[in-house]
Amino acid sequence: MQEEEKKEISGTGSLTGEALEAEDVLAGAEPWDPIETKLVVWSFIAALIALIIGLLVVPTSIFFH
Amino acid sequence: MTDLSNRKWYTGMTTQEDWWAVWLGLGFFCLGLLTLAGVDLVGWIAYPKKWVFSLPEGAVAKKIVTPDKAFYALGGKYSITAKGFYKSLGPIGSILVTYLVFTVATTIGAYFMKWNIKRYITGWTIIFFLTYLVWFIGHHAFFAATAVDLKKSKFPDMFTLSLGGGASFILALIVGLIIGNFFKGFASYLSTAAKPEWFIKTAIVFLGVKVGYLPIKAAASSAKLGKEVAGLTGELFIAGAAATVVAYLIFWPGVYLISRKIFKLPRKTAAVLGSGISICGVSAAVATGGAVRAKPVVSIMVSALVVVWAVIELIILPGFFTHVWPRTDDPLVAGAAMGMSVKTDGADAAAGELMDEFMRTKIERDTHGAVQWPEGIITVSAVMTKIWIDMFIGLWAFILALLWVYRIERRPGERVMASEVWHRFPKFVLGYFAAWFIYLAIFFGPGHAGAPEGMDVLKAATAGAVPVEKGMRKFFFMLTFMSLGIITDFKKLREAQFGKMVWVYFVALFLFIIPVAILIAYIFHHGMQIPNIAPQ
Amino acid sequence: MHTEYLIRHNGKSWVAENELCSLSASTLEELDLKVETHLRQTGLLKKGERMRVFMFFDNSTIPEWIRQYAQHYFNRVIEVKG
Repeated sequence: MQEEEKKEISGTGSLTGEALEAEDVLAGAEPWDPIETKLVVWSFIAALIALIIGLLVVPTSIFFH
Repeated sequence: MTDLSNRKWYTGMTTQEDWWAVWLGLGFFCLGLLTLAGVDLVGWIAYPKKWVFSLPEGAVAKKIVTPDKAFYALGGKYSITAKGFYKSLGPIGSILVTYLVFTVATTIGAYFMKWNIKRYITGWTIIFFLTYLVWFIGHHAFFAATAVDLKKSKFPDMFTLSLGGGASFILALIVGLIIGNFFKGFASYLSTAAKPEWFIKTAIVFLGVKVGYLPIKAAASSAKLGKEVAGLTGELFIAGAAATVVAYLIFWPGVYLISRKIFKLPRKTAAVLGSGISICGVSAAVATGGAVRAKPVVSIMVSALVVVWAVIELIILPGFFTHVWPRTDDPLVAGAAMGMSVKTDGADAAAGELMDEFMRTKIERDTHGAVQWPEGIITVSAVMTKIWIDMFIGLWAFILALLWVYRIERRPGERVMASEVWHRFPKFVLGYFAAWFIYLAIFFGPGHAGAPEGMDVLKAATAGAVPVEKGMRKFFFMLTFMSLGIITDFKKLREAQFGKMVWVYFVALFLFIIPVAILIAYIFHHGMQIPNIAPQ
Repeated sequence: MHTEYLIRHNGKSWVAENELCSLSASTLEELDLKVETHLRQTGLLKKGERMRVFMFFDNSTIPEWIRQYAQHYFNRVIEVKG
C-alpha cells in the first residue's frame, strides 16, 4: 500500500501509516476450536428462541395474521 | 495528546461527538418546547419550496413558486406568537440566521471536542452554503414536483422526475462524492467539518421530536387518527426490538462462519468483521475489536471498508425496495430491513429518508393522490431497528469480551468491567427517546389525545415541534448526505491489502445479510399499514 | 489497592504508561507480565498483596474520523499478586 493511502486511512490518530502493515491480521488463522462451534451454535439457538418469543409476543408478527 | 474520555462514566460528556449530538439535539428540542409558554425561538429555520424560473400562465404560486420565494422561515407559517417576524426574515434572512445559529452551536461542540476551530469554521461554512445551494437546485420543479403539486399550483401537465425531496438528497450525495473522489485535497480540508455521523445522530434526536409529534399532527385531522399513529410508532418500537435481536444473533455467527471457514481468517479478524458486516458497522467493528482485545488496526481496516460499502447500499437499496420489492405494498418491511442492512447510522437514516420520499411520491402518483402517507414514518421504521442494534452492540461486545477473556484466550488475572456496556452505549439514543416520550406525554397529557379541549396545547406544541422535526431534521439529513459523500473514497475498495476482506464483505452482505434482514423484517412487520392522510 | 495505567497501541506494540513508567510489549499477555514485574520490582506490590491494575484506553489512538462512529475501544483491569 502507498504511504499516502495509508496515511489517509489512518487519519489523524496517533496510529501512524506503518500500523496498517497488517498482514498478520489477515493471515495465520488459528485452527477451529470447539468453543467456536459452541459460540456459533448457541448464538443460532438464542436467535431461534428470540424468534419464537418474538412471534408470540410482538402483536405485528406474522403469527397473528 | 492523550484522550481518556472514558476514564469515568461521565468523562466523555463534553468531549465526544455522541454526547454532543445529545446536547445539540436536546438544546434545540428544548427551545422548541418554549412555544408551549408562548415563546417561539425556533421559527427561523430556512426551509425550501419547489420552484420554477417563471410561473406558466394561469398558475398560482402555491406548492410551486418563483426562485425569490424558494426558501422561507418555517415560523412564518407555523408560529403562533411570532409569525410576522419570521415572515419578514425572507429567504436570505432566514438562511443567514440559520447559518449563524448553527455555526455558533456546532462550533461550541467543536471547541469542546478540541477540533481545529479555524478549519472547522471554514469547512462548515463551505459545507453549509453548498448544502443550501444543492437544496435549492434539488427543489426545482423538474426534479421534485409531483403530479399533485402541479395540480395544486394549477400548472399545465408537464414531465417531471417526481422525486420529491429525494432529489436534493441524491444531489447532495453526488456533489459530496464528486468532491470526495475527484478533489481529494479539498475533501481532506473539509474533513474536519464533514462529520456525517455527528450530523445524523443530531438529526436522529430531532427525529425523536418527529416520532412524538406524528400523533399530534395526525390528530389535527381526527383524534382517532392521532391515536392510530401513536399506536403505530409504539408497534414499530416493539417489532424493531424483536427483529433486531433475532437478526443479530443470526448475522454475527453467520458472518463469523463465512470468514473463518470459507475465507480462512484469524479469529479476531473474523469476530471484528462479523460485527462490522453484520450490522452496525464502524461502531460495532470498534466495539468488537476492543472486546476481543484485537489490535486497533483490525477495527480501523474494517471501518474503512464499512463506510464505503454503506454508501454503496445507500445508492442501491432505496430504489430497489421502492421499485422492485416490496414496493409500496409493505413499506415498513422495507424500512425495517433497511435498518438491519445498512451499516452506519448515517447511511441508514439517509437511505430510510430517501426511501420515505420515494415511496410517498410513488403511492401518491400511483393512486392519483387518493392515498397520501404522512412524511417520516418509513424513516422512523428504518431508524428504529438501527437504534436497537446500536444499543444491542454494547451488550454483545460485553458477551464477546467475557467469552474471549475467560474462555478463548484465558488470560489469567484479567477481569472484564461491566462499565464497558455503558461506555459503548450510544448516548444519542437517550436524546432520541427523551424527545419522543416528552412530545408523546404532551399528546396524551395536556393534549388530551387530540380531543377538542387539548387542541390549543397541541397547536402551541406544533409551532415548536415543526421547525425542529421538519426544518432542522431535514437540514441535518442534507448535511449528512453531503458529508457522507465527501468522506467516501471508493478507491479504498481497490487497495490490494483489503482484497480478501472486500470479498468477504461482498459475499456476506449481498448473499446473507440483506436476504436475512428482509426475511426477518417481513416476519415482524408484514402487513403494518401507514395511515392515509389524503383529504377525503 | 489499585493502580492505573493508560494503554494504547502504537502499531507494533501495546504500551502501558503512567507517570512512573512506560512499558511496551507486542501482546497483552506479555504486557501484563511486564506490568506485574515492574510493580514488584519497584516495591509498589508487596509480597502476598493483591492489586487491581486498571488500564484506560487512550482514545487518541483511534483515527479522528472513526471517533464519531465509536467512542470506546476498551478499558481493562487485571489482578496481580505479589
